[in-house]
Amino acid sequence: MIQLHNVSVTYQQDVCALNGVSLMIPKGDFVFLTGASGAGKSTLLKLLYAEIAPSRGQIIIDGQNISRLTRSELPYLRRSIGIVFQDFRLLPNRTVMENVAITLEVLGLGRKEIADRVTRTLKQVGLEQRMQVTPCRLSGGEQQRVALARALVNEPKILLADEPTGNLDDENKARILAILKEANCRGTTILVASHDRRLIAASHKRAVLLDRGEIREVLDEPH
Amino acid sequence: MSRTKFKKRPAPGSGGILGLTGYFFRRSLLNIRQNLLINVLAVVTITLSFLIVSLFLLVFVNLEGAGEIWSEKVQVTVYFERELNSKEFAALRNVIMTLEGTDAVTYVSRDEALKRFRTRLKGQEALLDGVPSEILPASLEIRLKQAYRTSEAVEAYVSRLKKIPTISEIQYGEEWVRRFNTFMNFMRFAGALLGGFIALAVLFIISNTIKITIYSRREEVELLELVGATRFFIRIPFLIEGMIQGFCGALLALLILAGVSWAFLNHAGNFLLFNPQEAGLVFIPATFCVAIVATGVLVGFVGSLTSLHRFVDQS
Repeated sequence: MIQLHNVSVTYQQDVCALNGVSLMIPKGDFVFLTGASGAGKSTLLKLLYAEIAPSRGQIIIDGQNISRLTRSELPYLRRSIGIVFQDFRLLPNRTVMENVAITLEVLGLGRKEIADRVTRTLKQVGLEQRMQVTPCRLSGGEQQRVALARALVNEPKILLADEPTGNLDDENKARILAILKEANCRGTTILVASHDRRLIAASHKRAVLLDRGEIREVLDEPH
Repeated sequence: MSRTKFKKRPAPGSGGILGLTGYFFRRSLLNIRQNLLINVLAVVTITLSFLIVSLFLLVFVNLEGAGEIWSEKVQVTVYFERELNSKEFAALRNVIMTLEGTDAVTYVSRDEALKRFRTRLKGQEALLDGVPSEILPASLEIRLKQAYRTSEAVEAYVSRLKKIPTISEIQYGEEWVRRFNTFMNFMRFAGALLGGFIALAVLFIISNTIKITIYSRREEVELLELVGATRFFIRIPFLIEGMIQGFCGALLALLILAGVSWAFLNHAGNFLLFNPQEAGLVFIPATFCVAIVATGVLVGFVGSLTSLHRFVDQS
């Protein structure tokens, strides 16, 4: 599903964010990217949804070399990827429902279908009672779940989540992990960047340890 | 795998192209409602800008109107030593009417001339008591068509008129015509120059106002890109919003100006030395009003397009 071949990213000519990273994530896999701050976790995720381009190497997603995609083809790649941003990126003046609906609106779906799918997804993340409020009236955990719902509502092939449990209490962490596992069970390939070792241990999933832009260790799924 | 694997056209929704158009308009109106403050500020700025332009146009239109009224005074007078009988006048009138630029020909008899003289001396008519009408010449007053009221055209007309055998003495107030034309040309030039500066300043202000409204929503633009929106999909609601802002701003400016103008025409006579309605003051013609609103829509569209170019195309 996702393949990285000797990928490097260099910022401002001399700051190396990733160095010769090669990684293969099969379809339907659930993988954590872990490491200290500045290890390159977010950079790797940004490469996958093409917010930045690699300085060197190839990235293949679903058999497609994404470096060769034209600007007009990029949106169609992004529609197959759900993204949960570290800072949520919820639009403050739109309701929860409208925030989640954005993902479906760009697909050009009809109003009724959008309303049905958004309601269903918000039920899955336990926010069906908060559909008409704006994000500023939600707790951190609730905002995170809205961001997850927005990423999952179009049933993407891949879900990328950047620190989805950062600053959340244990109860909310467990809830987010459960939603991610559910999506994974429905066939979505999941890649989560997190420095939360307890969460990774509790998930029983494969983890890739990054250190200063290089893969230091791959911790296999415990049996 | 084919290279265009990800390039799939989006499903156009339940209503096809119409559904998509409906979506864009709905989204634009929702965006305006959800970003009400910044949109109101933009519309107020556009309104004030168009108010300046419209006020300038109003003044210019009325000055042009006044110029047209003054230009009525540009006329050629042919004097005769004796009265013409009706046959002679009709024959001469027919010849003069065939000349290019003639609008109307009026015969002024000696009696009529004396009557006019008396009117001009209102209050001192006694000075003319006992004065016979024979001391004044009979004349033909020739009014020229609008396009023939410049000094060059009048001179050319007079030289054609002189070729008619029965005509010898002609007066047309050369100096007045020259001064009048110089004044009108200066007014048009100054108007075009000032209008040009105002238009540029207004375009700059409106375009920057729209830029600020879009800049304040750059996070939304970035998010739309990251969830897979095409450039077309991101741009259209912003362009519609820009056009709505421009339309509302220009229309509001005209409504405010129409209100102020109506109040001035109907009530300013109470405290001014003249009655504005009788002075022939008018509002901006309907075609100009339509042009102002259309310009508002166009400026809104172009302002949004250039701002989006910065945030969408170069991101």
